[in-house]
Amino acid sequence: MMRNDPIKHVFIWPAVLVVLAISIFPLIYSLTTSFLSYRLIPPIPPRVVWLGNYATLLQEPRFWSALFTTTLIAFIAVGLQYAIGFGVALALNARVPGERLFRVALLLPMLLAPVAVALVARMIFNPTMGPLNQFLAKFGLVNLPFLTNGHWALACIIAVEVWQWTPFIILMMLAGLQTLPEDVYEAAELENASAWQQFWGITFPMMLPISAAVVFIRLIESYKIMDTVFVMTGGGPGVDTETLTLFAYQEGFKKFNLGYTSALSFLFLIAITIIGVTYLALLRPHLEKRR
Amino acid sequence: MLRRTFLMLTTSLAIAGAASQANAACSPDYTGVTLTVASQTGPYIASALKLGADEWAKKTCGKVNVVEFPWSELYPKIATSLTASDATFDLVSFAPAWLPDFVPYLSEMPKEMQSGKDWDDIEPAYRERLMVWEGKIYSQSMDGDVHTYTYRTDLFSDPKEKDAFKAKYGYDLAPPKTWKQYLDIAEFFQRPDKGLWGTAEAFRRGGQQFWFFFSHAAAYANNPNYPGAMFFDPETMDAQINNPGWVKGLEEYIRASKLGPPNALNFSFGEVNAAVAGGQVAESIGWGDTGVIAADPKQSKISGKVGSAMLPGSDEIWNAKTKKWDKFPSVIPGPFMAFGGWQIAVPKAGKNQKAAWDFVKTLTSPDVSGQAAITGGSGVNPYRKSHTANLQLWSKIFSPEEAKEYLGAQSDSINAKNVALDMRLPGYFSYTEVVEIELGKALAGQTTPQAALDAIAKEWNRLTDEFGRAKQLAAYRAAMGLPPKN
Repeated sequence: MMRNDPIKHVFIWPAVLVVLAISIFPLIYSLTTSFLSYRLIPPIPPRVVWLGNYATLLQEPRFWSALFTTTLIAFIAVGLQYAIGFGVALALNARVPGERLFRVALLLPMLLAPVAVALVARMIFNPTMGPLNQFLAKFGLVNLPFLTNGHWALACIIAVEVWQWTPFIILMMLAGLQTLPEDVYEAAELENASAWQQFWGITFPMMLPISAAVVFIRLIESYKIMDTVFVMTGGGPGVDTETLTLFAYQEGFKKFNLGYTSALSFLFLIAITIIGVTYLALLRPHLEKRR
Repeated sequence: MLRRTFLMLTTSLAIAGAASQANAACSPDYTGVTLTVASQTGPYIASALKLGADEWAKKTCGKVNVVEFPWSELYPKIATSLTASDATFDLVSFAPAWLPDFVPYLSEMPKEMQSGKDWDDIEPAYRERLMVWEGKIYSQSMDGDVHTYTYRTDLFSDPKEKDAFKAKYGYDLAPPKTWKQYLDIAEFFQRPDKGLWGTAEAFRRGGQQFWFFFSHAAAYANNPNYPGAMFFDPETMDAQINNPGWVKGLEEYIRASKLGPPNALNFSFGEVNAAVAGGQVAESIGWGDTGVIAADPKQSKISGKVGSAMLPGSDEIWNAKTKKWDKFPSVIPGPFMAFGGWQIAVPKAGKNQKAAWDFVKTLTSPDVSGQAAITGGSGVNPYRKSHTANLQLWSKIFSPEEAKEYLGAQSDSINAKNVALDMRLPGYFSYTEVVEIELGKALAGQTTPQAALDAIAKEWNRLTDEFGRAKQLAAYRAAMGLPPKN
């Protein structure tokens, strides 16, 4: 029942204004800027170009390259994170000896700052003095171009992403596993279902909603990858490892090309929205089956 | 009561006396003033600023807070602060190339600082060229930067190496006069099985890479018959970076990348210095820090074996006007004032401008800057006549022979007739970003040198049109020391 007491406005409007000020207004301002040719350095007076920035970006091979790189990193890294994370969570849920120690140790990477992780990774991947080179040299693999060849560099970035963010998946999946009802498994045991059958028939379907949410969160987060790439490769060689956020950073904070950067941000938003909507649409039939 | 009053009075007088004595030691007195300086992350430059800060604190009782940012973050931090006209920084230290972008927001140097013994002591290349913008002085050089050549004297003086080199290449092993000789030497010493490589240069995107490329190209693109045409045609502002001189420079730069340690493509200048000081390479090019660090026994394995020379040159230089190679009777050395040395300036929005300029005076004084110049890792290279003239000063780190070569290379380079100035233009980062990207592709073999440079030239011309060709032309001519075009 709606109450017509005018006092409700006193409580609602401040919240509405705060949301407008800190969320909607910057978004609108940014959208408006995306229709301008607007540079801070060298200072050029703003000029309306309507969809000019968007058109330029869509014809810019660097934009498509950055989008492809970001998508590649996000999908491969999140796929690996999910597979490894789910596996480790299952192991921890089975109450292996030293489970508590594993749980804490496996969560540590997630607590570190990505910049610090990237700096350490840069040392590890040093092709002459890095410990990885010393290890691989024992197998005759010396001086591999970890960060100076495009394919290798992408693989290294993905490896670092997987190392750092798998713990998040472990944490979430473990929480999910611990809420699963025991009686379903007891019934399966009575039916002599194997461990594999129990996993595919019970665990995986029951974990599907949480899996969908966790993968979705990680996918969105992975699209925003910036610091790891910035420190490890700077986007190079060439633009082989340049992600959308790094591209936006270069345009916005190096070249102060604000209109173009705003348009880039909105195209980024559109790309993420399309990916998110497609992902949820693909999963919907499976999730609805679970209801 | 009377006795108590008398005691209080004497105590107060004593305290006041002590205070006035303390203040007398502060000249000028900036007690209570704290200056904030934006710097790149130390030790380079930040440590020199801290050295100056200590001296200034002793002299004036003021304080200086050095705020450090990684190199790649410095420009955006300063630019954001200046364009917002906030008073975050009382002083900013930056590259001369950024000056055109920052000029509208900087205060002019006080006239009294623009004369006198200390002023005349600054090398003319800085005082009359790099510190000047449209006839006015907005910044003070606090570092001298010119690329020079560094080599290992133990390898170059080894009779076995000398004989083997001569037998292979047909001329004596010595500091190279041409870039071809430089590559020959690198190739000769390329011995990965012995942990020795030919050369070390910066090749990493965002790692000062393009200045090393510019150094190669300067020998072929900076023509004394058509001054100021290295980067752009000073008549039309058409990009010159894809002309045959530049292509040759890029081809040799790529060749050098293959004659370095395996991870050379990921080298920024810091890694270059580490490779030289670690005795990993036979030769190198770079700023003066390389020689100082390599000579320091605490940081180097080749201390006492460090030789220096000017950058190689060429006897053929591309003429952007006639679009032909000009042949010269002898090799013209091609020193390049890469980066041009750190500068320091006082923003208009600063609240302590008088104190800030006084700090600049102390920081760049012959004594304080001389001390910084001989400190390995300070990032300060000679930019005053007194820096290179005072051999005694350098005896702390160099042997007499090393000092003679090092200082000779520095002084000869900045005073060379055909010294090439770095590009200084509004929108500098827009111009150099595409250089970094295309260089990365060319170094990785994803594109040819000509195609990479054509792509850069196309973008440079597009940017020039976007920023205003006439405005950019005027700025470019000013930066190259050419008179305004009528």
